[in-house]
Amino acid sequence: MRFRLNWRNVWLIWQREVRDQFRDRRMLFLIFVLPLLLYPLMGATFLQLAQFVQETPTTVLVLGRKHLPPEPPLFDLRQRTFHPQWFDRPEDAPLLRVQFLEDTVPVRRLDSRTLEQLVRRRLRTGQVQAALVFSPGGNADSGAEATAPARRFPRPQLLYYSAKRGSQVAHRRLWAVLRNYRTGVVRHYFRQNGLSERLLEPFQLNEQDLADQPLRQAAVWSAVFPFMLLIWGLTGAFYPAIDLCAGEKERGTLETLLCSPARRSEIVWGKLLTVMLFSVLTVVLNLASVALTGAVVVAQVPEAVRGIGPPPPAAVFWVLLALLPVAALFSALCLALAAFARSSKEGQYYLMPLFLVALPLVILPMSPGVELSLGNSLIPVSGIVLLLRAAIEGDYAQAARYVLPVVFVTGVCVWLAVRWAVDQFNRETVLFREGERLQLGLWLRHLLRDRDQTPSVAAALLCAVLILLLKFFLGLSVSLRQASVPVMIVTVQLVAVLLPAGLMTVLFTSSPRKTLLLQLPRPAAVPMAVLLAVVLHPVVVAVAQVVETLYPLSPEMKQAARALLEQVPGGPRRLLLLALLPAVCEELAFRGFILSGLRHMGHRRLAIVLCAVLFGMIHAVVQQAIVAALVGVVLGYITVRSRSLLVPVLFHATHNALSLSHEQLAQLWQRLGGPQWLLRTAAEGELEFTAPVVLVSGLLAAAVLWWWRSQPVEPTPEEELLEALAHQEEPASAPA
Amino acid sequence: MVEGSPGARSGKRPGRFLVPLPAGGFGAGESMIQVRQLAKHYFDLRLGRIEALRGISFDAYAGEIFGLLGANGAGKTTTLRILATLLQPSGGTATVGGYDVVRQPALVRRQIGYVSANTGVYDRMTAREMVEHFGRLYGLEQRVLCRRIDELFERLQMREIAELPGAKMSTGMKQKVSIARALVHDPPVLIFDEATVGLDVVVARSLLQIIGTLRESGKCIVFSTHIMREVERLCDRVGIIHHGRLLALGTLEELKRHYGHEDLEDLFYHLVAESGSGAARHEGELPAPEQASSLARSEAERPCDSV
Repeated sequence: MRFRLNWRNVWLIWQREVRDQFRDRRMLFLIFVLPLLLYPLMGATFLQLAQFVQETPTTVLVLGRKHLPPEPPLFDLRQRTFHPQWFDRPEDAPLLRVQFLEDTVPVRRLDSRTLEQLVRRRLRTGQVQAALVFSPGGNADSGAEATAPARRFPRPQLLYYSAKRGSQVAHRRLWAVLRNYRTGVVRHYFRQNGLSERLLEPFQLNEQDLADQPLRQAAVWSAVFPFMLLIWGLTGAFYPAIDLCAGEKERGTLETLLCSPARRSEIVWGKLLTVMLFSVLTVVLNLASVALTGAVVVAQVPEAVRGIGPPPPAAVFWVLLALLPVAALFSALCLALAAFARSSKEGQYYLMPLFLVALPLVILPMSPGVELSLGNSLIPVSGIVLLLRAAIEGDYAQAARYVLPVVFVTGVCVWLAVRWAVDQFNRETVLFREGERLQLGLWLRHLLRDRDQTPSVAAALLCAVLILLLKFFLGLSVSLRQASVPVMIVTVQLVAVLLPAGLMTVLFTSSPRKTLLLQLPRPAAVPMAVLLAVVLHPVVVAVAQVVETLYPLSPEMKQAARALLEQVPGGPRRLLLLALLPAVCEELAFRGFILSGLRHMGHRRLAIVLCAVLFGMIHAVVQQAIVAALVGVVLGYITVRSRSLLVPVLFHATHNALSLSHEQLAQLWQRLGGPQWLLRTAAEGELEFTAPVVLVSGLLAAAVLWWWRSQPVEPTPEEELLEALAHQEEPASAPA
Repeated sequence: MVEGSPGARSGKRPGRFLVPLPAGGFGAGESMIQVRQLAKHYFDLRLGRIEALRGISFDAYAGEIFGLLGANGAGKTTTLRILATLLQPSGGTATVGGYDVVRQPALVRRQIGYVSANTGVYDRMTAREMVEHFGRLYGLEQRVLCRRIDELFERLQMREIAELPGAKMSTGMKQKVSIARALVHDPPVLIFDEATVGLDVVVARSLLQIIGTLRESGKCIVFSTHIMREVERLCDRVGIIHHGRLLALGTLEELKRHYGHEDLEDLFYHLVAESGSGAARHEGELPAPEQASSLARSEAERPCDSV
């Protein structure tokens, strides 16, 4: 009988967990009290600090005042400041005090070198925040065409000390004053020479913002809300997750719960919904607190936050709508991670890596130029942020176009995260993990000593990480040494891909044959592998084109890739280097070592997909990586069905060979006079498959895959166990 | 469900007496727990592969207390955790109430009540709330549940602590709550894993009395301990487990008669010594005599534990 979720148990567990959390004073403080206190405190501090920084006067040391023309006056000598007319806001004049060096030091007796040292010392010690030195004589840059007054004008030099905050402020203020003064001097010359001042401003810029006030406010909030939503959603999920998993382990109550009739999946769902509730509450309370604090700040100092008003109600609605999937995703991730932790303290260590992974996805949509598009909407988390931004800005037509992809990707991510969390709760190695400290040396020794026939999941992941790192550094080092492309390909394939997988197979497994699937497949599998590669090729090319449309490749990158390929010799050597060698090395590593290890997870399909994702990641270009990952799924599938590495090697080699032969195939097609509506020659001699060809190929590929589906699978013990658990009898049939 | 199997103490069911144990195991169809060639290994980073269980087989019947006696690390907790579906066996089979622990864990969990020394009590729940919560998870109706809780709290003398939160309970109180929680659904099988560890003499005695009365109500009770006197006073049949192997199985009288030792401690030393170095799981582990002396120490710590 197929497994079903008993929602009554989920409800009971949720009820208990929520009640438990509401009785925890620490949690209440973190979720409720902290946000309600934090932002008002931050707001008050901000107001104080802003006032303090703005009102701090800065002093400018001036040397050579006598060289300045009397009109227009730069300084207000009575007030010892710059003349208020040069400030954008004349009332700011007292903030930039002036100290004339001539008033304190007998300047005439000192040489220029001593004077310079004196100025520098005062700047460094913070006695003054900036210095303005006027040297006599003409302007060196003025040239022969310059007017006589310009030639006579003293040469000003602005000295400041950027390592000090005060000096930065003084520099900014002084720069604005001098800019206005320069315009004033020019006006003065114009007046003296009877020229119209209007020549200085041949046109007046009349700017008008057509966005009405609510939309202008929405634009501001569209940047703030998604960021807060994600950061607080994650933080709000994490601490309850730790308490609900690692905390239960610490208190010894997890065993009690696991013995209850609730299934592991029901326990996870109950806990997940609890964590979600607290994640949602955290976000809502933080947003409410920010809104309240913001309203107070706006009321107190409206000029400090010009253009920002209270968030539009629609923005609040969209945030609340987006909150549910965000909270679900982060809650499931936090729960899975927290299940792995042995204690609350250890659980907290996992917070930082999760933030490090989530932050780039939050920050990416905020980068200038990143807009909501189909490609961007498919990026987890970032897609939600972009969609939310579009909705808050009132761009509903744009948002509506990408709702489905965002919902689909988020749904898949949530599903995977929940599956992962349930999986963690099904693993005794996670739930009853000993308090042993992980030491790399001990772990490697354990892998070496207690090796099984096939590698463990951890060894498989380690192999993938090693390959990724080696490929990155080796590729970089080989290209820096300007080695030839063939040497680069051979080195990367043998050293970065084959070597780690081969070494780890010898060291960490007792049966290289079983690990690397070094056995012959059924005779029919060989032609079927080649046939699948051939019929699937047009589909893969079409997918690659779609991917490139979604995430366009820069022309420079295309050019660089083409240039690299041109360096590879043609003929059989080209096929050997780019088709056969990668097929053998990459398949041994990925479908051999890594897939064998990942299958110990107990989820065959997940192992295939994960292996394919890792395989995609070794391809440097993102567009290529996506296509490689998709092809990797097919490779993994036929590997599992054939139980022989020869099958994926043949598929891989055939696929690569076909990709390399596009030009030749196009020429052959032209020579044969084949119809253009089937195969076209696109720009740069590339072969283009038309829609009918792609459709027919897709159907044929489906038929071949159907044949593969009929091939038996040899399940691992973990897969057998999980399969049995998934099909266990319903508890309802149990005796009362 | 098999009910009402007569206890071995009444003499109707002869204890089995097997050194070494037969690979085929027992054929009795009416036993509540059937364990056959149960094996469990796991990996320790430092020590390597640990054989926690090396193919043990035994049966436990309704109306009897089956004792698993062994030193620390002998494999008692691993066996009981497998029976409670908390751990997966590496080999062999185990059924509880006719349900397979691997393939039908949800059904097995309905048949058992599990109490261990580690069994925790929620700090922020009262005794009543906790028992009620688990009763609901077992699908008991509110009316039946309330009656059952009242009955259990009366029987276990827990009325005073009914509204006390877990954080304020003593170890003995917590253990009583655990027992009430394990009994709330009236399961036919009860598993006590070193349930008296950490309890003072008075509470331990009271707990053993409770377990004794549960046998009278026809429950199949599996009771693991390293304290010999508890076994002597409480158990109908005993399995002596050492280094993952079941060294002997039978009623106390049968074991004493067979090995010619009147004292259970002497008998245990004899079996451990006889199992010799072949039973050592790993070179890094404690040798048998040290295991034996740890048992002796544990025994000395509990001078008075009569039921």
